[in-house]
Amino acid sequence: MKYRRSEEMSPPPAVPVTDVAITRFEHVYEVAPELMTEHVLQQEFPNWDTLRLVHSRADHLAWMHRHFAHTVVSGEELLHELDG
Amino acid sequence: MTVTALSDPVLGELRQILGDEHVLTGKADRLNRARVPAPFPVHRWAERLPDLVVMPGSTEEVAEVLKLANRLRVPVVPRDGGTGLTDGAVPLRGGILVDVKRLNHIKDLDLDNRTCTVGTGINALKLNERLAVHDLIYPDDPASYPCSLVGGRIGTSGWSLIGSRYGHTRDLVLSFDHVLPSGQVIHVGDGIGRKITKSSSGYQLKHLFMGHQGTLGIATEATLKLFPKPEAEFSPFWAFSDYADAYRCVGLLARAGVATFAGAVLFDEWKVAYLRRDDEAYIPQPSSVKALVCAALYGYADEVEAGGRRLMRIARDAGARYLGDEISQGDWAARHDRYATPLHGRTKSGQVAPMSWHCEDASINYTNLPSVRLAWHEIADRLRRESDVFDDWGMFAYTNGATGADYLTEIDIGIWEQRLDDRTWAAWVRAKRDLAAVALAHGGSISACHGSCREGEVDLVPQELGGGFEVMLQIKRALDPHNIMNPGKYLLDQAYGAPS
Ligand SMILES: Cc1cc2nc3c(=O)[nH]c(=O)nc-3n(C[C@H](O)[C@H](O)[C@H](O)COP(=O)(O)OP(=O)(O)OC[C@H]3O[C@@H](n4cnc5c(N)ncnc54)[C@H](O)[C@@H]3O)c2cc1C
Repeated sequence: MKYRRSEEMSPPPAVPVTDVAITRFEHVYEVAPELMTEHVLQQEFPNWDTLRLVHSRADHLAWMHRHFAHTVVSGEELLHELDG
Repeated sequence: MTVTALSDPVLGELRQILGDEHVLTGKADRLNRARVPAPFPVHRWAERLPDLVVMPGSTEEVAEVLKLANRLRVPVVPRDGGTGLTDGAVPLRGGILVDVKRLNHIKDLDLDNRTCTVGTGINALKLNERLAVHDLIYPDDPASYPCSLVGGRIGTSGWSLIGSRYGHTRDLVLSFDHVLPSGQVIHVGDGIGRKITKSSSGYQLKHLFMGHQGTLGIATEATLKLFPKPEAEFSPFWAFSDYADAYRCVGLLARAGVATFAGAVLFDEWKVAYLRRDDEAYIPQPSSVKALVCAALYGYADEVEAGGRRLMRIARDAGARYLGDEISQGDWAARHDRYATPLHGRTKSGQVAPMSWHCEDASINYTNLPSVRLAWHEIADRLRRESDVFDDWGMFAYTNGATGADYLTEIDIGIWEQRLDDRTWAAWVRAKRDLAAVALAHGGSISACHGSCREGEVDLVPQELGGGFEVMLQIKRALDPHNIMNPGKYLLDQAYGAPS
């Protein structure tokens, strides 16, 4: 595994999603940078840290499911049965 | 009162009762317990400092502390997780803050009667990790699940996200040891039983000693009802192109009578607009999505699947669009822990500003939800016109019970706490009073979960309770003749001659 600071500190180009949000990684959204220039300034984040935060959020949510129940029922499957 | 005013003989006696290490006088110890998450002007935080903090390790120690405070007329404020949103755990008159977090042991686990007995400083998440070994769960599930504790749940008579299936704190706590302001220890439950679910013997004191915000004493050890850990969970989220359809649908789901139904939630247009700014699930939604509904079911897999199928059919026939498994499962899991919500709002120009969260939490009947929603947003709109310190984060309505009669009705308002000055704080208190007045004008209750002793709302408590408020004053005076327990809360100073 190689780590190059310059690479980690250069995020992929921003793609606008709505008039207030952008995306740089799949399914990861950010506030449009021009909205964070006065009271709260956007911080520089290495790419790995952005992805780590997103993944640990996903881990936390998966943990919550396991904490409250053994399995999770799929609505898509139930809907498929109903429509079928 | 200052620390020096409490130094001798109080400090010395407390150290004798508890040991030196459990009497805390440091600035950080006191500052850490001077506030709760409900927004309050930063320049006034120092008004709410306790003089000292004690951390008792047993019911007997709590009793000794209260005897001493009663004898020397020192104010006492109980505090557990400190997550309460009506300022219950912040001292208004200094004094001794009794932090019960050391009372966090599991004392008894009775697998045959399906109960456990715990110290009130324990957290349900930690308790459930231990219970999972036995495939059991204690299902008191507020949106503060990881950080609120059993004693605070008792002190507020809390509300649970899955209460429509399992009941709320008052239903789940069977009985508890309670230390009266005099220091006398009593046990309250249904009748005297520790593990009894239903008794008709005598007055029903359990309810009296729940939800009093620490004004009637301190609960130290509680016996709780346990359930099998659910085999399956189902939490569908649906989108609607207008609020009226979503409102109709949530009513149909809540009235369907599905046994595993644990709750349903309605999100209004303002909430969807708020989520569209900052929530990864809703940013990419098409602009036609104007309102949302979700439901939660828990139980054995075959029951949950059967109930789920029925609710999916009802929602589909009501014009709902299912948002898919990923959003449905992710969003529901996030509801157990709203501390993880990003706390920032927008100024009127759209700039991001750091904001704390105010949550209004009335109980409103289903038929009154649409008009309360409009009246509340008008108040939020007025605030926003007045100052950039406020932001309207939209409304939720969560079922209170399985029959769909009434809903915890929540408007979330972002407040830029660091910028709250005396003028904007006064505007906020006025708005709080107006929000509570709307709830009462619609036959509702000011609070479904947090309690109603914050500035503004508390003024209307006598109106909500009517003649019951006079009884509340009489009870307070009888049980706490020197007004030592959490003085200044709930207008209870009136029991001692303060003007009404
Ligand atoms: C993000 C977030 C989400 C929330 N969601 C919900 C929700 O879904 N449902 C809900 O009901 N609430 C909710 N709340 C509010 C809060 O979590 C509850 O009111 C909770 O019951 C408070 O518990 P605590 O342990 O933090 O108590 P504290 O805040 O420490 O105390 C609450 C009150 O109880 C008194 N008290 C504390 N310990 C005792 C005791 N041992 N004996 C007697 N009185 C005592 C205190 O004096 C105070 O008046 C939420 C709060 C946050 C921050």
